[in-house]
Amino acid sequence: MSHVLVDVIPKALQRASAVRVAGLRRAYGSIVAVDGLDLDVRPGEMLSVLGPSGCGKTTLLRLIAGLEAPDAGMVEIGGRRVAGAGSAVPPERRRVGMVFQDFALFPHLSVRDNIAYGLRADPDRNVRVRELLELIDLVDAAARMPHQLSGGMQQRVALARALAPRPDVVLLDEPFSNLDAALRTQLRGDVREILRASATAAVFVTHDQDEALTLGDRVAVMVRGRIEQSDPPEVVYGEPATPFVATFVGIANLVRAELHGRVAITRFGSVRLVGPRAESAHGRALAVIRPEHLDVTEVPDGPADAGAWRVLGRRFTGAEILYEVIAPDGERLWVEAGHAVRRLRVGDLVSLHLRDVETVAFPIEHLGSEPSGPIGVASTATPSSPAEHAPPPGLTT
Amino acid sequence: MLGVESLRRGRPGRPPRDGGRGAPAVTAPGAPLPLLVACLLIAGLALLPVAYLMVRAVGADVAALDLVLRPRTFQVAASTVALALLVGGGTIVVGVPLAWLTTRTDLPGRRLWAVLVAVPLAIPSYVIGFAFIAAFGPRGALQGMLAPLGVERLPSIGGLFGATLVLVLAAYPYVLLSTRAALLQTDPAAEEAARLLGDRRLTVFRRVTLPILIPAIAAGGLLAVLYALADFGAVSLLQFDSFSRAIYVQYRASFDRALAAILALMLIALTLLVTWGEGRLRRRAGAYAGPVRASRRPATVVPLGRWRWPALAFCSTVVLLALAIPTGTIAWWLVRGVSQGAILRFAADGALNSFTVGAAAAIGSVVLVVPVALLVARYPSRLATIIERATFTGYALPGIVIALAVVFIATSSVPLLYQTLALLVIAYAVRFLPQAVGSVRTALVGVGPRLEEAGRTLGDGPVRAFLQLTLPLLRPALVAGGALVFLTTVKELPMALLLGPIGFDTLATEIWGAASEGFYARAAAPAAILVALSAGTVALLLRAEERPR
Repeated sequence: MSHVLVDVIPKALQRASAVRVAGLRRAYGSIVAVDGLDLDVRPGEMLSVLGPSGCGKTTLLRLIAGLEAPDAGMVEIGGRRVAGAGSAVPPERRRVGMVFQDFALFPHLSVRDNIAYGLRADPDRNVRVRELLELIDLVDAAARMPHQLSGGMQQRVALARALAPRPDVVLLDEPFSNLDAALRTQLRGDVREILRASATAAVFVTHDQDEALTLGDRVAVMVRGRIEQSDPPEVVYGEPATPFVATFVGIANLVRAELHGRVAITRFGSVRLVGPRAESAHGRALAVIRPEHLDVTEVPDGPADAGAWRVLGRRFTGAEILYEVIAPDGERLWVEAGHAVRRLRVGDLVSLHLRDVETVAFPIEHLGSEPSGPIGVASTATPSSPAEHAPPPGLTT
Repeated sequence: MLGVESLRRGRPGRPPRDGGRGAPAVTAPGAPLPLLVACLLIAGLALLPVAYLMVRAVGADVAALDLVLRPRTFQVAASTVALALLVGGGTIVVGVPLAWLTTRTDLPGRRLWAVLVAVPLAIPSYVIGFAFIAAFGPRGALQGMLAPLGVERLPSIGGLFGATLVLVLAAYPYVLLSTRAALLQTDPAAEEAARLLGDRRLTVFRRVTLPILIPAIAAGGLLAVLYALADFGAVSLLQFDSFSRAIYVQYRASFDRALAAILALMLIALTLLVTWGEGRLRRRAGAYAGPVRASRRPATVVPLGRWRWPALAFCSTVVLLALAIPTGTIAWWLVRGVSQGAILRFAADGALNSFTVGAAAAIGSVVLVVPVALLVARYPSRLATIIERATFTGYALPGIVIALAVVFIATSSVPLLYQTLALLVIAYAVRFLPQAVGSVRTALVGVGPRLEEAGRTLGDGPVRAFLQLTLPLLRPALVAGGALVFLTTVKELPMALLLGPIGFDTLATEIWGAASEGFYARAAAPAAILVALSAGTVALLLRAEERPR
């Protein structure tokens, strides 16, 4: 659809995408790793591709790099067709840099020679290598061999090596997964700055949502070989396009609601809807209620009143505490309480109040045809890791 | 079996890289004295032959220096170096393509070839040597087949050519296995990275794949060189005067101890030089390999296309020369011998003797290995490392040298032991001990000291806790180590030749004796038994390779 548009705009007016992918498909036997995928990376942009393990992220990168051939669809890099419709440019002529998960430094070459590898006949070779060594702050380690470097240093050398020939785009495959937690946070910042400084477009895939949200100018959420949503991080979080995106990025409660145009009525009262999908829809829907959308107040001891929720479990995240709560009708939710609220215990009764927020809702009839919506969790939240669960409410009292 | 241990488990003597589980017990900060004393005695026993040769050489008078400078000595040295270099080069030419074909290509029947080309690893050089003489020698099988045409004698296949051919066929598996390991351990992503940086497939091979493999190839080549330096069986059958044959001839012909000892020391020097180089290269190869992570992809398979025909021809030729011709020749002479009523009794006697010595040596080395492995695994220290290294010295040196030194020591210090079975068994147990150390040490690190500590809190004494709790868990490792010692002992030639009691023939000495006198039919039966045992050895080694390290 979009390439029709591009075709009518005069060439001079458009700046070619760094990478454009359309209808890309790759299957291994009966397993479809990439399934009719579309993607657009703008020049200088950092795009993070976020998805669960096995969603086809790495295959996508390898298809762009030319390390695998697509079954269908096309890939353009810097406005040049490199795969699809009869063209198959080999990886060495694609002007793509790649940072591998294990870094894949050449073990027989020094740091300097690793970085210089792609610069063969370049007369400014030494200048460029020096420049990159300064960029990654490893000038003193230039003569060292890869096995003498720490994981973080190897990571930076791998990035410099990929950037050296000034590629149109750098692909990073789970670039931080082999580093320990403390190093990871620091290197995220480093890598972002290095990529910014070199003004190179980058695509990196990760299954870590923190990484995707902090590093990407845009986040593309990928599931089962397709991109579900591709937007700036705050939009992906605030206006998820599908129930899957809502529950995969951050924690979301999908709460039954009745749509009335731009307003949804939930059991907590009405909430304003945002986003392009907030049209004059009517009827039953699931509204996304984030844990921070609800205020938690403790209900004093005594006979349980009809509207009270019971605390089932607790998860401490550092900045705040998440509680799983259950209603008398069996609906379960995740709610958030800051440290100001007295620490609740499992079995405590609380009441919930919706704050003045905007959110999105998914009409239920649409969900029927939605390929990826986790309808089965209609009334429960699915946090990414299990909390300490209390026994069923019947047993606690 | 020289060097196989180092292929499988890294360099001998490197301290174990264990995690917290193998940490020394809190209750026993230092090694118990009896354990330390036992280990020192074992190390001393292992060092004795080399030490003795050193002392003798230092004590030799000025006339000894003349011996070193004799033209004859130079001649032997030059022959040995020439043979070693040719074998090193030849094994690389044969082993590297085989390694690549069986790991990275779509060669038809790749898995079967991978096993077939590795089998010659365990066939002793003198069996291959015997087979080649008995097939292509002046009065070999080929001459027998050509006899109706009036061919009465074929030209000799001995000398440098024959020795090189036989030793290349016996030793190329060292290069093959070393290169294979490197190919399997190299991260294929490095090759992909090179392509993304602008290199075509062939350029990637030249700039990345090959340089990464070179240390492993060279280290394998040097193992083959060590094999050639240490070999006694093939060079003596093919009558090529390298150091080991010269030492033997010198010793047998004139009982000239001084010259034999000096030749032996020159051989030791050469061996140590090569061992040092091999160790350096092996370490570099290890650094290139890097850790194997779960996220690593398997290497892409290179389609051979039309090249699969020459590739198949190459593999077939190697298997024909290294496996089919030896086994075929042995079978031919076996059938001929039986049909002519030759006696298989020799083989039965030899087999019984070999098995007796092998079993005794296996038990002996298993008894000796437990204290050494215990010290190294549980009480790692500088001294423990030195002791472990010491046990490796005898193993790293040519058998003929050790045999000679043991003969000297026995005749001059303990004549009662000279030419007894006991001496032969002790010599074997000490020399092949290192083969068992690796597996037992790994097993001990895996078991850890916690079980014994639990036993101690439940009222066991330290010895009882070890015997009751740890030892049963070590049994698989002890059995595997013992089996390896058994198989190696059964195939060993020079020590059996020099140290065995008079009239005591093992399979090895029977083959060697019969083959050197031209009684090919008589050598065939014991050779057949040894080839069968070799297949068992390879199976054992491959199983050990599959086990997680």
